[in-house]
Amino acid sequence: MAKTYDYLFKLLLIGDSGVGKTSILFRFSEDAFNISFISTIGIDFKIRTIDLDGKKVKLQIWDTAGQERFRTITTAYYRGSMGIMLVYDVTNEKSFENIKNWIRNIEENASADVEKMILGNKCDLDAKRQVSKERGEQLAIEYQIKFVETSAKDSLNVEYAFYTLARDIKAKMEKKQEASNPPGARSGAHQLRANEQQRKPTSWLSRCSVL
Amino acid sequence: MPAATTTDPSTEQKDRLIAAVKKEVKHLMEEAVTRKFVHEDSGGVTALCGAVEACLGQGLRRRALGLFKTSSTTALLHKIAKHCPEAALVSARVMAAEGAPATRSASGVERRPSAPRPPLNKRGSGSLLSQPASQSRYLWIRIALFERQLAKIIEHLVNNANRYYERDALVADPDYGSILSSLLVGPCALEYSKAKAPACFWSDPPADELVQRHRMSAGTTTPPSVRRPILNFRRSLNASSDDTASSNTATGNATGSSAKDYVESLHQNSRATLLYGKNNVRVQPKDVEEPMPGYLSLHQTAAGLIIKWTPNQLMNGYAESEGLDKSVYWAMSLQVCAWEVVYVHVHRSQASDALILVGQDGVQRPPIQFPKGGHLLSFLSNFETGLLPHGQLDPPLWSQRGSGKVFGRGKTRRRPMPSLCESGETEEVDWEEAAGDYVFRIVNNAIADREAMRHSLLERAVQSPPRTPRRPLASTSTTSSDSSTMSVDYPQSICFNSQPPLTPAQLPPVEQAASIELVCSTMRRQIISRAFYGWLAYCRHLSTVRTHLSGLVHPHIVPRDGTEAGLTEEIWRSMMDDEGVVTDKDEVYRLVYYGGIQHDIRREVWPYLLGYYEFGSTAEQRSSQDAACRRQYETTMSEWLCVEAIVRQRDREATAASIARLTEATGKSKSTDVVDSGEVFEDDCSVISDNPPIVSPEPCEKEQLKPESKPVLSRAPSIDEVENIEMDSKEKENDESTVNGETETGDSKDHVDIDSLNDVDDDEVYIKSVVENPDMRRESIAEIKRLAEGIVQKGDGRRLLCSVDSGNMTLNGNDLKSSIDENEQNPPQQQHTSVIITNPSVDLAVSGSPASGGTTANVSPARSPLGVVREESQSAGASFDTLEPSIDARPENRSNCASPASSNGGVYSNELVESFALNLHRIEKDVLRCDRNYPFFTDENLDKLRNIMCTYVWEHLDMGYMQGMCDLAAPLLVMMREEAVAHALFARLMERAKDNFPSGQAMDAHFADMRSLIQILDCELYELMHAHGDYTHFYFCYRWFLLDFKRELLYQDVFSAWELIWAARYVASEHMVLFIALALLETYRDVILANTMDFTDIIKFFNEMAERHDASAVLSLARDLVLQVQTLIENK
Repeated sequence: MAKTYDYLFKLLLIGDSGVGKTSILFRFSEDAFNISFISTIGIDFKIRTIDLDGKKVKLQIWDTAGQERFRTITTAYYRGSMGIMLVYDVTNEKSFENIKNWIRNIEENASADVEKMILGNKCDLDAKRQVSKERGEQLAIEYQIKFVETSAKDSLNVEYAFYTLARDIKAKMEKKQEASNPPGARSGAHQLRANEQQRKPTSWLSRCSVL
Repeated sequence: MPAATTTDPSTEQKDRLIAAVKKEVKHLMEEAVTRKFVHEDSGGVTALCGAVEACLGQGLRRRALGLFKTSSTTALLHKIAKHCPEAALVSARVMAAEGAPATRSASGVERRPSAPRPPLNKRGSGSLLSQPASQSRYLWIRIALFERQLAKIIEHLVNNANRYYERDALVADPDYGSILSSLLVGPCALEYSKAKAPACFWSDPPADELVQRHRMSAGTTTPPSVRRPILNFRRSLNASSDDTASSNTATGNATGSSAKDYVESLHQNSRATLLYGKNNVRVQPKDVEEPMPGYLSLHQTAAGLIIKWTPNQLMNGYAESEGLDKSVYWAMSLQVCAWEVVYVHVHRSQASDALILVGQDGVQRPPIQFPKGGHLLSFLSNFETGLLPHGQLDPPLWSQRGSGKVFGRGKTRRRPMPSLCESGETEEVDWEEAAGDYVFRIVNNAIADREAMRHSLLERAVQSPPRTPRRPLASTSTTSSDSSTMSVDYPQSICFNSQPPLTPAQLPPVEQAASIELVCSTMRRQIISRAFYGWLAYCRHLSTVRTHLSGLVHPHIVPRDGTEAGLTEEIWRSMMDDEGVVTDKDEVYRLVYYGGIQHDIRREVWPYLLGYYEFGSTAEQRSSQDAACRRQYETTMSEWLCVEAIVRQRDREATAASIARLTEATGKSKSTDVVDSGEVFEDDCSVISDNPPIVSPEPCEKEQLKPESKPVLSRAPSIDEVENIEMDSKEKENDESTVNGETETGDSKDHVDIDSLNDVDDDEVYIKSVVENPDMRRESIAEIKRLAEGIVQKGDGRRLLCSVDSGNMTLNGNDLKSSIDENEQNPPQQQHTSVIITNPSVDLAVSGSPASGGTTANVSPARSPLGVVREESQSAGASFDTLEPSIDARPENRSNCASPASSNGGVYSNELVESFALNLHRIEKDVLRCDRNYPFFTDENLDKLRNIMCTYVWEHLDMGYMQGMCDLAAPLLVMMREEAVAHALFARLMERAKDNFPSGQAMDAHFADMRSLIQILDCELYELMHAHGDYTHFYFCYRWFLLDFKRELLYQDVFSAWELIWAARYVASEHMVLFIALALLETYRDVILANTMDFTDIIKFFNEMAERHDASAVLSLARDLVLQVQTLIENK
């Protein structure tokens, strides 16, 4: 039986413009880094399937435009996501301060139990650093969110971050499932996917084809 | 050992071994054909390796190699490595892979890192848990296969078999040995892809592959589109794709009957499970004399069980002939949905077993001939399993003594099909006899109940004569959506059903005839009424559509005759009279719309298309318009450059502050706890958060700053050295003016440089170097701390104020006074906002025409909410004055433009500055990221782009910069090369485009229009989208509309697309973007449909396809679509 994955997790990357969301995603999905990325317009996503405790977990990671003007579009994607990466740039104080705004944004738009994680990106640029690791950690403690400093350029902690987030989601999901279902039931994510395959009844147009 | 071995049991074993290899090779080759590549972790590879291992292991002289424990064949490899160079290579790889897994990637295997990934790979903790066992097994065979050496190694073994093998071993066998090595030649020629770890194997196929598969299955790349008539029905749509597919496939089959399905679905995939596959099953298609061998497979899909047969030509032919006409074979291929089959006839004879499927329409499919052996039976038993749980074979196959299924004894009848009630008597068929005919009926229980209900209703309605209760014969209906509503029953089929509780004999023939008649008439009525209602709905729908879409296109269709070449230079010149006047604008638009513009004259024509030049203007008028535009542009630029200087200054301070704070914190954290340091800097924090957002200034400044001014970080904090800071910004401004194309005169530059050199004291140079050198960083901490304290002290504003004062001294008394007053009145925490200015430049500005309120001066107070007007900016204005002399000095300069009056408006509200700062940072971030792969965008041209952006944003500060504007301006700059004109065109472009940004409403309208257009022009696609309608918005179009396809196409194509959009406005449609979008979608509609993509799939697909579209095809399709809609509306 070909089942391409056991779980499908939708993740979302948010944070100020230019903090390196696309780079992080690119590092994770293609294991590459390109200094001259273009700004993300609209929305894009990449997929990587990882192996978590013997389960195939398909991560569908959405990359969003950072500028707050585009939040109307990006928030549409908050709802379906099960995990959110909040990214700031350690060489940019403002992007760090804005993390609070982003969290507020999540609280308003995402489902209440969405898993979150804060990433302080560009930690390879130590000379230009404006936000210390301690401040990042403190913020994380304040919000009870996991935190890690990453570098998409040096491939530092990117894998770790996604694996951690995915593992947390998986744990949460399994816990929830055990609570509601007898064990052995398929994951909700998968069922969702399976349902998509079924076609809806057709409209008059197709019925017309009897002609 | 030919003749003697026929009875030899070892031969049988060899046979089996070779057959296993053969089978795996075949699978692998098939996988390669259908997927275009074989993944290294594919199960097929492992299976093949296993089979080869078994062959090699058989008859091996283990004693000779006994000292190796683990894997004898691996030992064999190492053994022969001495004599066989291929084996040596592989052996080295294997050693490397086994011996030092952690460092393997460095050991040279990485060219084709074959089997197991190093356990300590960077994939993180999760993936290193389980290294699949399959990967480490048959390691050397794997590596040899991927290195394409396996066949040669085997050959070597075969040639030297007597050294390593017993005499009766398979490898030593003259026949089998060479068969084995030649079998492996094929797999060794395949392309094995590592791709991205095992993840890729589990991921969705990338867009490329989807398109590739589509091309492959479509045979020839049919130009998408216009082949479909407008407002076609589903049936006709299907028919069009069925041309290439199969004449045998049932139309209207929801599972998709097109040929491309084969390519994907022959393989096990997420949508269909492969239940059975058998090669060399012969089918004799129509118009073919000989039965052809092919691949028979059975697939379980969501829609039901599907039987497929594909001629061998299709299975094998891919590699050699992509272009060759395979449509013939596609036409021969079979695809039958199990629910459409009512009867399965089985004819067994001595020669072969044949299976005939009879559809509910009574049509027989070509017989499928199985080779002798249990194949037919195993197919049937798989088939029966596949039908469960909703359906079953009637009669069922019988299990017999645990030996598998056999044809039911006593349950089958030999009987020709169409005769109604010939039989009742059953005939015992001896299975051993292996000959005979069997008929199975396929019963679909799922819809049986539903049908039964409908029947009873129907019967009541038509007063059908009482009939004996019978089993619901659901087999007669179909799951295909169209016809399922026609509850047509075949009462006659009951006759075949001789099983209890009812035998056909019980049903009188007369009654049968009556009920057939009855059903037929009901059917007729239903069809007619359905047709009528369909037609009615269609008419109503059409009128809705017309009203809705009439706004999208122009009612008048402009003819396209003679426009093939587009607007060439020749035509353009001939349209121009002596004075350079072009008047026939309609013709220009028409030519551009249908044929585009020759690249050489785009620069001349674009300003017309965007409405910047008027048609009918003389060359003289245009050049004076250009001059005016340039003046205007420079004036505006001079305004925001002042503000930029202020912003820079603030940034530097803020950056310095946070760096100092950080250094302080890290310094402290060694001795004191973190919390403490947090408190210490709390005040500071608040100060800084008042600042405009600090984007790491370094990358931005790289663009403009000279090297000597680069390490601002260490310099800025030294409040004592305000003068130096001011130097910085002055230099920067000089640079910027250079950027503007006004090179500084040597005098002023030298002057500046000398000044700056004088001002830079040793102390500062020292700090600079320390900070830049990480090794010396520790030492510098103390120094920076000292500086940081200076910053912290800024909190009370004292020192700062002083420095500002000292700077302002040189100004005239009034201003100075007011600025001091201002400062003193202000609460301390706002102090930092006044530290902005480049005082020394005031000194430089010799005459320094005192800032008299310019245009901005009038505006900005109004903008200031608190009425707090910062006086200091007058010096900013003054700093700009320093440029004045030099500019004026140059003879060719065009600028009385940056006149003092306009430039040093001098008064900017804090709010204005902050708002501009915010925009400035965004712009710089995006400009740096804009099209860096395109050679045009050197640093110099990026600066131009930045200036255009800043100027536009300065003019539209209420709207501000929005991501995407850079993309829109870039092609204009590339084309026009000159900032001022590019800016003017950009402003025109934005008049339309700004509504697409989130502040406008156009995007939603576009989405809605897209929806209706798709509904009208491609209802099949619409239904797919509708079925996956989890989003009401077409987000995959978002970027298309926002950037006018700039990111979807290559530059050259963007030019054409944009011209088309601009010209279409006057020729055919003001919403050309919609039709281009639709054309893009239609281009890939078959791929989208074939893969039943949902919205996320489509987003991914198009994002991956960016810049790889065939633009000219897309654009001409877009024009055709406009025409379609126009015709549709015209034909009311």
